[in-house]
Amino acid sequence: MTDKCSCEQPLVPTIVEVVDIKDETPDVKSFYCRLSEGGVPFNVAPGQCAMVSCLPVGEGMFSCTWQEEQEYLQFAIKKVGLLTDELHAIEVGQKLGVRGPYGNGFPVEECQGKDMLFIAGGIGLAPLRSFIKYCFKHREDYGKITIVYGSRSYADLCFKEELFDEWPAIKDTQVYVTIDNPEEGWAGHVGFVPAYVEEINPNPQGLMAVTCGPPIMIKFVLQSLEKMGYTDQQVITTLEMRMKCGIGKCGRCNIGSEYICLDGPVFNLAQLRQLPQEW
Amino acid sequence: MKILSKDKLESVLDKLAESAQVFVPLSRANSSGFYSWENRNPEKEQLMLDTLNVYMSPKNIGFPQTEKMYSIIQSGAEAQIKETFEDSNPRIIFGIRACDARAIRCLDDVFLTRGYTDSFYQARRENMVIIANACYSPGPNCFCAAMGVNPTEPEADIIIRDTGDSGYIWEAQTAKGEELTAGISSLLEEKELKAPEMKPFPTQVDYSGVAEKLKGMFEHPLWEEMAQTCQNCGICTYVCPSCHCFDIQVKSWGDEGYRYRCWDSCMYTEYTAEAGGGNPRPTTKERFRNRFLHKLEFFTERYGYPLCTGCGRCIAACPTGINIVKIIDQVKEASVDD
Repeated sequence: MTDKCSCEQPLVPTIVEVVDIKDETPDVKSFYCRLSEGGVPFNVAPGQCAMVSCLPVGEGMFSCTWQEEQEYLQFAIKKVGLLTDELHAIEVGQKLGVRGPYGNGFPVEECQGKDMLFIAGGIGLAPLRSFIKYCFKHREDYGKITIVYGSRSYADLCFKEELFDEWPAIKDTQVYVTIDNPEEGWAGHVGFVPAYVEEINPNPQGLMAVTCGPPIMIKFVLQSLEKMGYTDQQVITTLEMRMKCGIGKCGRCNIGSEYICLDGPVFNLAQLRQLPQEW
Repeated sequence: MKILSKDKLESVLDKLAESAQVFVPLSRANSSGFYSWENRNPEKEQLMLDTLNVYMSPKNIGFPQTEKMYSIIQSGAEAQIKETFEDSNPRIIFGIRACDARAIRCLDDVFLTRGYTDSFYQARRENMVIIANACYSPGPNCFCAAMGVNPTEPEADIIIRDTGDSGYIWEAQTAKGEELTAGISSLLEEKELKAPEMKPFPTQVDYSGVAEKLKGMFEHPLWEEMAQTCQNCGICTYVCPSCHCFDIQVKSWGDEGYRYRCWDSCMYTEYTAEAGGGNPRPTTKERFRNRFLHKLEFFTERYGYPLCTGCGRCIAACPTGINIVKIIDQVKEASVDD
């Protein structure tokens, strides 16, 4: 079901217009883009990525936020470097380049009929959010949904409206939010994500766990899940590395003989264990 | 059989140059490489068909060191791609060796298969004809046969075989080769000559089982040891005929500019340095390991044959004497705990 970039010139971007920009946190903004004549240059599946370029500055690979209507290309982008500084400075109406979609996306069909556990840290919620939204759109296809999400502080929590209002109101859904350190006005959980997951301790029976966050968080979450009795086939993550081409040619995003841009970015733990431990 | 007599060689190259850009092995300043026959300086630059491998490989002909991809205009909120520069002008590479011909097959597999066709490479490749010079006397750093390359049967459109003083046996191998041959047939002769005897390789190495063994050696202490003298200068990747990693960069001035791609090297920190500050290959050890595993294990797993063609250029170029043949030997000898 996942589309691949099928264009004849896979390295040449298409121009889109930014039609809306939303502040998510002090350093994360959501960008909504579409073709000037309306519509999107390509459809994306949950977990797929696209190269976004500010033409005179550079290109970077970002996870696309999935939406059923495929009305916009949507990206939640954290300000961390040259390109993202530039993107954070643009205004509505700006033309950008995009090319994609790239990567395999999440195994949404394989997970049907399962309970779902989503574990995210910081901007790592962005790719998972596509899968979460997909599950909610096809609510009957999935069992109980548990979301565990943490950030450094309350201000750094992304997508607050969905986290605190929309998602907890959906049938058979639990949302657990934590921040790293106590702060005034925060009555919720305090502590790191892996420990919180162990505390919540969802029963692995018939469940699929999907995780994304800073590499150190992923590492400890995987250890926690293993301790809690999850098998390697039950644990899915989405990886990132520096990328330039997005189509498995420029070389840099390999882990062993696999390219994250092309063969990933989504892998289950059983697949990752076959690869060198360089992720 | 068809014979290209040596006294007709220049006439053939001139004739070919009428309809295509012809690249031949030439000496140039203190170096050598594949350069345009028609633009050579005959007083300073010599044809080097007898040299086994010129310093620079022919990889830049299909995959230029720097290649302009498309031009851009951005003025305020407006932005557009102005022009795309795919270059399908006819090109002929004359005098390439079997190792470099195999390296072009590596590039073909990378750029033209596995889901995506790189349109810039494809444009250059589709109108390219390869005329390869069979090897019968391997040099001191040659080990192509060990990497699965047959030096006397290069993967090319036309094979030429040097019989000594009188001329080259000329054998078209593909439809493209037949077509090119038809265009110069008046300059070829019909007579029988004998190809030379193959001489033994001075360098012996055994690659069999190495890809499989390396799969269990990612954490082996050998990498730390072997990488010790590596300066991360990147010359090995630069002279390598099959190293294909590239960067995409932008050049802009005022409202205009262009995107280009250029060779990159896995030897450099920036190659995998991430905007957020992380780097999965932070030190020489990880970069060195990735390069040799890519050559000897990862590519073999992905495409079925190694990304090293045994040309020996990196052995000659490395300032600290790192030698891929010795690395293969050390891997063969290494003890691995099961």
